[in-house]
Amino acid sequence: MRYVTPGTRLCFASEYEAGPGTYERDEYIYSSVVGIVQEFLPTVSSNTVEEKKQSKIITVSREKHQSSIPDVDSIITGKVIRMTTREAVVSIMVVGNIPCKDDYQGIIRSQDVRATEKDKVKIIESYRLGDIVKAEVISLGDARSYYLSTAKNEYGVIYAQSVAGAMMVPISWQKMQCTKTKAVELRKCAKPKDLFSKNQ
Amino acid sequence: MATDRRRIQGPEASVAPIILKSPNKIQLLDENLCRHNGRNLEDIRSISNGSAFIELNKTKIVCGVYGPRQTKIPAFSGKGNLNCEIKFAPFSCPKRRPPYRDSQEKELSQLIYEALTPSIRLDLLPKSTIDIYITILENDGTASCLAAAITCASVAVADAGIEMLDLVPACSASYINGHIFMDSDLIEEKRESGSLVLSYMPSLKEITHILQSGEVELNLTSQAIEQCTDSCSKIYSIMIDSLLLPIQNIK
Repeated sequence: MRYVTPGTRLCFASEYEAGPGTYERDEYIYSSVVGIVQEFLPTVSSNTVEEKKQSKIITVSREKHQSSIPDVDSIITGKVIRMTTREAVVSIMVVGNIPCKDDYQGIIRSQDVRATEKDKVKIIESYRLGDIVKAEVISLGDARSYYLSTAKNEYGVIYAQSVAGAMMVPISWQKMQCTKTKAVELRKCAKPKDLFSKNQ
Repeated sequence: MATDRRRIQGPEASVAPIILKSPNKIQLLDENLCRHNGRNLEDIRSISNGSAFIELNKTKIVCGVYGPRQTKIPAFSGKGNLNCEIKFAPFSCPKRRPPYRDSQEKELSQLIYEALTPSIRLDLLPKSTIDIYITILENDGTASCLAAAITCASVAVADAGIEMLDLVPACSASYINGHIFMDSDLIEEKRESGSLVLSYMPSLKEITHILQSGEVELNLTSQAIEQCTDSCSKIYSIMIDSLLLPIQNIK
């Protein structure tokens, strides 16, 4: 086990590839966090000659986990906290699988709710306050919020409560039913990918 | 009918207040000896993301780092934002310092910001802010305090797990009667003709910040810079030890 601090020179840049927690500068790779040095073989998808030439990836895994930050293309989970006719404001609580220490703010604009019939989207028929939503970050957005999109099958509401306060189950990609009163409410439901692939 | 406007006009009928039922008694410990707030028995509440304390004889400084968290500045920036605040405790100097922020604290905050910014990889933290709060508990020479605060803040940032290029040790020197007094204290500082504060990244061999005040000859300055970089390298090894010691003990 090799413990390092930021600025420790790890190796030559020609021998390894800089992974997370490291950076390359002037032919060397340096550590950028406090942690343990680890080496990985790159995940080779094909066995072509070029791929085999790839050098090992060197990383430094942190001792203390930093709060995660949303980035473009990352998948987030959050709660709807505010709604207008044009957009729903989401408080981002989880990025990927890592919870954020402080919530970040994101918005789902009405044109980003679904992929088809974008002009007919009504925010009120897609989300309600308190819904837990899975979405993708499409842009770093404006000064205040990230721009999110649910325009894919696997994104949308993953947990919602009905007017009666009971949990709801999705019955189609646009509808959810209350387990208590059997009332149907409109939502843009998510169809989680991994949920179905496991059963097969 | 004339009414008294200054009186609050309440409704004529009154309604009994709703008394909320107190929630069921919370179980303090579950079967895995985990407390109701998710901590273990021996865990204390986490205070900040990263913290550090430095003591150089009489100089004592504490530092806390919070973040990265969403920035509250109303302008978009693709880079992270660093916010430094330094505070002298009211009892830190021979003369009592008022608890509000004065111009010297603002100046020192700006200097620490300038010294630390080149070492932190802010380009990896879009739209985020890192807050650094430094409190000086005892002041034994302002230039040495500034140098110690930079050192301390740099360790705290590394402790918070924020990506940085290198640790930044800093060192101060005073010019008195043609001599260089390294890391001068309060008594020496009163007689100085000038001073130098240098922040240095030893691993990359780069100076992040240099501050010189007063009147001094050129050859004395270059000698002081050399001596300061040497001292910075010594401080650097202590910074590394203090960061590695706790994690090596766990394993």
